[in-house]
Amino acid sequence: MEIRIRLLLLSIALAACSGCASMHWPWHHQKTDDASASAGSSDADAPPPSVIEPQVERRKVTVPTIRAKNIELGAYYGEISIQDFGAQPVAGVRFDYHISEDLFAEATYGRAKGGRTSFEELSGNVQLLSDAERRFTYYNLSLGYNLLPGEVFIGRNLAMTSALYMIGGIGNVTFAGEHNFAVNFGAGFRVLPTDWLALHIDVQDLVFKSNDIGFYQLKNNLQATIGATVFF
Amino acid sequence: MVALWAASLVPSPARAAHVLLQLFVSQPYLELHTGPGRGYPVTQVVARGESVDVLFRRTDWFKVRTERGVEGWASARELTKATLADGTPFHVDLGDLAGFQTHHWESGVYAGAYAGATLFGGWGALSITDNLKLEVGLSQYIGNVSDGYIADIGLAHVFMPEWRFSPLVDLGTGVEWVEPKATLATPVDRTDQVGYVGVGGRLYLARRFFMRGEYRQYVVFTKTNANEVNGEWRFGFAFFY
Repeated sequence: MEIRIRLLLLSIALAACSGCASMHWPWHHQKTDDASASAGSSDADAPPPSVIEPQVERRKVTVPTIRAKNIELGAYYGEISIQDFGAQPVAGVRFDYHISEDLFAEATYGRAKGGRTSFEELSGNVQLLSDAERRFTYYNLSLGYNLLPGEVFIGRNLAMTSALYMIGGIGNVTFAGEHNFAVNFGAGFRVLPTDWLALHIDVQDLVFKSNDIGFYQLKNNLQATIGATVFF
Repeated sequence: MVALWAASLVPSPARAAHVLLQLFVSQPYLELHTGPGRGYPVTQVVARGESVDVLFRRTDWFKVRTERGVEGWASARELTKATLADGTPFHVDLGDLAGFQTHHWESGVYAGAYAGATLFGGWGALSITDNLKLEVGLSQYIGNVSDGYIADIGLAHVFMPEWRFSPLVDLGTGVEWVEPKATLATPVDRTDQVGYVGVGGRLYLARRFFMRGEYRQYVVFTKTNANEVNGEWRFGFAFFY
């Protein structure tokens, strides 16, 4: 009898324990889900871990620009012989652009003032032109050719590049109140004491057709100037 | 002008901070001349593997400084054989038919006739594309009846920029200042707007040089009832860069 009672109690206790284990408690389910999730992350089917992207910016290489110093800008001063109106001081500005080692383009603007003709000098009070009309202004657009490039030596230690050039062009001369189409041609010598400074000696003829003294004739106006320019 | 010269004497901070281009000699040696020209004597050579700093450029010559501090002039043609620090070849625009096709700007002078008067002037153009140019011109004409100036701006279309000779057309507008000769009864200076249409061609010569000729028809919008129509032909010499 006693054994039977023991068996019964043990059976009840066993049934109760297994029943608890099989019961669907909420916390019990949660634990199971967590466990299954952690087991799934290590599966082979899951996507592989991402590759580390290096946070390095590509270095941008900039090539330094090279300065081009082909432009000359400067001024000149000298003497111009205005045909029939005497030799007079002349001053002007010049702009040069070096296209190649041989050729350069030049634009100049100059002004002078015509003197008195010999007729005016000899005949007393006669005036052929007013003061304003005696103003002699011109501009030229020219092309130059470095005919004899070379070097100039001063003493033992100083050498300067230089060039003897020929130049010619077209332009305008305003004189005696009239505009005149003019042709200019001549030669010059350029010497560069430094890379940025040039000194010039120029001789040019400005030729135009004019009737300022009553009839048309070809006017030759020779000018000799010295000047300085800066390279940019 | 004097102030300009004085300013150029003093090196500005920007000038001092300018970074020089470094080139590496890849050819057996690089010759350095004493001046920017083919005839100047060669007094220095830079060996393969050595570098030079490029100081500035004058036409197709580059003033360079060697690692030992020696300065001299190297030709652009020689420097095209040198390389940059990363090993890529150094490129220089030498001015050729390819450059004639594609360039940034051009400039030239011309002479011709405008309504029977002697015409001369200059122009400059900026390349918008190889075919299309934005042009600015300034002309003066000297006639028997009147003198004058024309300033104009317009567009030119070059049909075949890759050809040695190419036709072109242009269209633009501008201003004309007329100075009638004093011999007329009532000489009054006047300023009028003008418009033009032109047809012409350009011909590549060599290096950076080309010629250009064209015929233009100008319409002068006068203040009277009738507009003037003037014909102009011009022939010029130009270079590009």
